[in-house]
Amino acid sequence: MIEIKDLTKYYGKGESRFKALDGVSVRIEDGEFIVILGASGSGKSTFLNVISGLEPSDGGTVDYDSRQLDKLSEKELTKFRRDNTAYIFQQYYLLPHLNVEKNVRMGADLDNNKDYLKFIEAVGLSEKRKKFPAELSGGEQQRVAIARALAKNPKVLFLDEPTGALDEKTGRQVLDYIIKLQQEQGFTMIMVTHNGNIAETADRIIKMNSGKIVSVTENSA
Amino acid sequence: MIVSIKDIVKLFGISIMTCCAVTVCNLFLNYYLDLTAIADLNDNPYSQMFYDAQIMTAKVVCAVSGGCLAITTVVMLFFYIKHYIDSHSKEIGILKALGYSDFKIAKGFSVFGLSVFIGCMIGYLLSFVLMPQFYELQNEDGYLLELSIHFHWILFVLLVILPTVVFAVIAVCNSLLKLRQPCVNLLKGIVKARGKSKNIRDKKTFVAEMRSSVLRSRKTLVFFIAFSSFCFSAMIQMSASMKDLSSEMMGLMILIIGIVLAFTTLYIAVTTVIRSNQKNIAMMRVFGYDSADCKRSVLDGYRPAAYIGFVIGSVYQYALLRIMVDIVFAGVEGVPEYEFDFPVCFITLAVFIVVYEGIMFAYGQSMKRIPLKQIMSE
Repeated sequence: MIEIKDLTKYYGKGESRFKALDGVSVRIEDGEFIVILGASGSGKSTFLNVISGLEPSDGGTVDYDSRQLDKLSEKELTKFRRDNTAYIFQQYYLLPHLNVEKNVRMGADLDNNKDYLKFIEAVGLSEKRKKFPAELSGGEQQRVAIARALAKNPKVLFLDEPTGALDEKTGRQVLDYIIKLQQEQGFTMIMVTHNGNIAETADRIIKMNSGKIVSVTENSA
Repeated sequence: MIVSIKDIVKLFGISIMTCCAVTVCNLFLNYYLDLTAIADLNDNPYSQMFYDAQIMTAKVVCAVSGGCLAITTVVMLFFYIKHYIDSHSKEIGILKALGYSDFKIAKGFSVFGLSVFIGCMIGYLLSFVLMPQFYELQNEDGYLLELSIHFHWILFVLLVILPTVVFAVIAVCNSLLKLRQPCVNLLKGIVKARGKSKNIRDKKTFVAEMRSSVLRSRKTLVFFIAFSSFCFSAMIQMSASMKDLSSEMMGLMILIIGIVLAFTTLYIAVTTVIRSNQKNIAMMRVFGYDSADCKRSVLDGYRPAAYIGFVIGSVYQYALLRIMVDIVFAGVEGVPEYEFDFPVCFITLAVFIVVYEGIMFAYGQSMKRIPLKQIMSE
């Protein structure tokens, strides 16, 4: 369970200082699929970065099963990331000089996962496992990023606009892969997007504006 | 102009390299030309023998140090240009997309010749500062009575003007070659696929594979790391021997040049490898790899090259001094015995291990400071 209380984050200095997160509080249960919706500049990516430990908050707390994130040292934070989280970014961030299989091993080795090929198979890239990122389409690269993230068997998966750089059809395919795997493996999934259509598949939809949560909608379907 | 004047500040490695090369070469070449001018004045066999030995020394030192440093400078320039094009591929891609010709873009790279000019000019002036003491030391027994310092314009042309022009041309030609790739590749920063794609399951761990991949992607840096430890090993050991074979000043000069070259080259190589892998390091840290893993992946692959460089440096300095003593100074009286100095070698090795591993450790720790959020939001 992730308990977020009164989270605040500022950017800039002096007169240009502004509040990117303004007292955000929310509780996320294990195995939930949360979608964070909001326009550009609403604070949704900052929220994701802070709750995932990519950047520190300026106030408030983020507790993972009673472990407070901002109390962890750099070493403990690294171990926390190693044992608990995985990320999928809009820009994939694959390692360009490593082929598909080796990129996926980046995640798999952290969990000593010898069975990582099944993730490459699950995202439909078995035939291309020896290809390099530059030889793949955008959709395929994002599927590699998914396989890499899932191969470390995360407890929480963070996704920042994972389909933002893809066309609608490919984006839908990629999303279907992720949701299918989340349902099979039961990890918690927190996804940032500005695409309202994606939200219909989530358990809960959190809408953000000006650094605040403006609504939380349960999805009964 | 794609390359601005302020970009040449980043090429200080080239300036330092050319400065060292020109200082050494001008000292010895100026001395050589001044010696040849008094060739006819040697009327006794001692001064003739001394004169011949000095001429030979000047030739050997210029060929060895000047040649070696010139080759390294060319490699460094090629490396800088490739690195510059890689890191500015988007801007270059935009210019190409707007219709700028490859030559028009490549012309801007001639600015790199300025870094050579700065280094050469400083080295040239520095050599004249050191010259009175150098002449005095070379002729401390007073065999060559008529020896005095003269300005030789030909040396100014050969050591300052010519390298500047040649390096500017090399920079333009090399850039032209590197720019011959599709505009879209430059815009997207597409990296060519490397390595063989064997259809078998890889046994290497991710960290081991990453280490090999970092080495393969920046092969030039292997040369720089090896060169850095080569300089450290050869110059420090040589400077210790020079104290006996030549003079303390000569020993000190070699020691300073060696240390400056070694640290400059190592700094350039290590900062380049870290900068070019910044996103990969950030991604590793996001996934939970610690700084020791990052260091193992990015820096440890260069360790064998560093130690091989050290060994080559030790052998090189021994071979060079052996040649000097056995061939160049053969028959010259008063030249001390020269043997490989094992104690100095072991001390240098111990210092090298501490310094090299210490620097690598410090750089490994610095990877913690790479801002994750900034990299991920680029």
